Amino acid sequence: MNEFVERQLTLQWHEPKKSYDVVIIGGGGHGLATAYYLAARHGIKNVAVLEAGYIGSGNSGRNTTIIRANYGIPEAIRFYQHSLDLYQTLEDELSCWVMYSTKGIIWLAHTETQMRAERARCLLNVACGAETVMVTPQEAKELCPQLDLSGGGRYPVMGASYHPAAATARHDRVVWAYAQGAMRHGVHVLQHRTVTGLLRDGVRVSGVETSAGPISAGVVLSAVGGNVSTIAAHADVRLPIRTHPLQAFVTNAHEQGFGPILSDTELLCYVSQSARGEMVIGAEYDPQPSYSLRSSFNFLQSCASKVTHLLPFLRDLRILRQWAGICDISADFSPIMGATGVDGFLVTTGWGTWGFKAIPAGGEQMAELIATGRTPELVERFGLDRFAADRAMADQGSAGTH
Amino acid sequence: MLWITCPRCGRRPVEEFGFGGELRGVPERITDPAERDVDYAWMYDNVHGITSERWFHRAGCRRWLTLSRDTVTDTVTG
Amino acid sequence: MPALETLRGLRVVASAESLDVAAWDEGAVVLRFAPDDAFAIGAINIDVSDEHAIVAEETGFVGMWLSVSELAEQVLPHIEWPLPDARPALCQGFIAGVPAKLWVTDDRALLICACSYADELAERLQ
Repeated sequence: MNEFVERQLTLQWHEPKKSYDVVIIGGGGHGLATAYYLAARHGIKNVAVLEAGYIGSGNSGRNTTIIRANYGIPEAIRFYQHSLDLYQTLEDELSCWVMYSTKGIIWLAHTETQMRAERARCLLNVACGAETVMVTPQEAKELCPQLDLSGGGRYPVMGASYHPAAATARHDRVVWAYAQGAMRHGVHVLQHRTVTGLLRDGVRVSGVETSAGPISAGVVLSAVGGNVSTIAAHADVRLPIRTHPLQAFVTNAHEQGFGPILSDTELLCYVSQSARGEMVIGAEYDPQPSYSLRSSFNFLQSCASKVTHLLPFLRDLRILRQWAGICDISADFSPIMGATGVDGFLVTTGWGTWGFKAIPAGGEQMAELIATGRTPELVERFGLDRFAADRAMADQGSAGTH
Repeated sequence: MLWITCPRCGRRPVEEFGFGGELRGVPERITDPAERDVDYAWMYDNVHGITSERWFHRAGCRRWLTLSRDTVTDTVTG
Repeated sequence: MPALETLRGLRVVASAESLDVAAWDEGAVVLRFAPDDAFAIGAINIDVSDEHAIVAEETGFVGMWLSVSELAEQVLPHIEWPLPDARPALCQGFIAGVPAKLWVTDDRALLICACSYADELAERLQ
């Protein structure tokens, strides 16, 4: 029996009720973590998480699991550093092994402009509590002996920033751990239950219409990934979100020994090694918005060409799987959390290509927001109202790929 | 793979083009002028289905074109 | 294969109607990049009626003439899209992944790209 089937059988599934205090749309990491913290920290246990497929079947199961805090604006660095801290104690919190593994991330620069940007990022990161240092090409090579410092003769490495706390964890295990934790506290997780509309009571949202009948709710939170605009449209809420596919692929297993995560400012690609030995490789999201989960040969070709310049050993490996997820990319590349202007309807969205690392803090902060009715200080700048107030949180450079 | 037919150059792979964004409109129901400005500046329809959008034939004639695309199947529909 | 060499001529941006009837130097190869944009290789003078026309000496493109067999053997394998049936024809798009153009006549073809891509294109066609 495989791990997934085993986990499905051992979780405590519930029969749905007609009404809940909180209904969360989307059974991915963010939805399940919010449910867990609502129940475990705030005693709000009359909660349902609705998932159209199976838990973790969206972006939580499709991302490349990189956890890091080296972002480009103070609010983001503090938030992601807090998430990283929560990840480090997650196995104790949930009594579940999530295969958390600290690797460090090397961010390569090839031009003086990129070096300046990385130096600035280091200073800002350190000031905001996320350790990041500049390293020379030789130091980068010591951290990652497989790296070709000439970049295949084409992209010579000038230097790099190094963020030692960066890590990976196993995505399915994170999802299952939060699901199990939430269910243990009485949260109902309803799989294969598609939300087809929102129930309205005048202006306010009072529940959800689903593929198996209506469910009323005190608060409805959308924690869905790529399809958030469709859900929000049911409440006439407009979002600064475009849905773009993000692709990635893995090679066949390679001997263990690729220690860090390698990322590149010029080529916008990144590489890490999974616990199974597969090399996990990704790059930018597709340029045009789309809800299609189809993989493209062009992506494979261009991404493979980039990473083999930096890591020549990859040429001898074979490609095992390629896949895509659909990402909710916000206009300023920062998340959007909290009120929508419609009573009873909240969102946690704009997690784009960078949502996995934010699961613990995103869930924790949304739970506090729902439980107390106040926006926690850590995420107060990430509200949807920032766009009308002309306070966009532009962070494309550090959020665009992973 | 997505192919786009440029009226001047013919059928070409999507990599030759730059995405220029969907044709945007502010919903009629938003009446407050300031709210309309915010919507125009920031919000997207993010259409799940057929959308009209602008593309730039970067590697060809270097001219703009408008087309309809189904964002669910990622195919050009007109 | 021959080498890519700088193409000299006039670049004219003017209304499509005026370009349709413009008088070019004898022997110039006139490539209409777009309805309102033409590159006349080998031209020194042009008579165009549009008073807002921009006429400039163009040295930003390189090209090489190819025989029909050179075209078929060395260039066509690097093109993903079908060539039009009409002759002469100007085709524009990726050739070996580089933005390039192809002027195809009955008995020969001119491969063109921006001079900044010259080395890249030559390398990829090897």
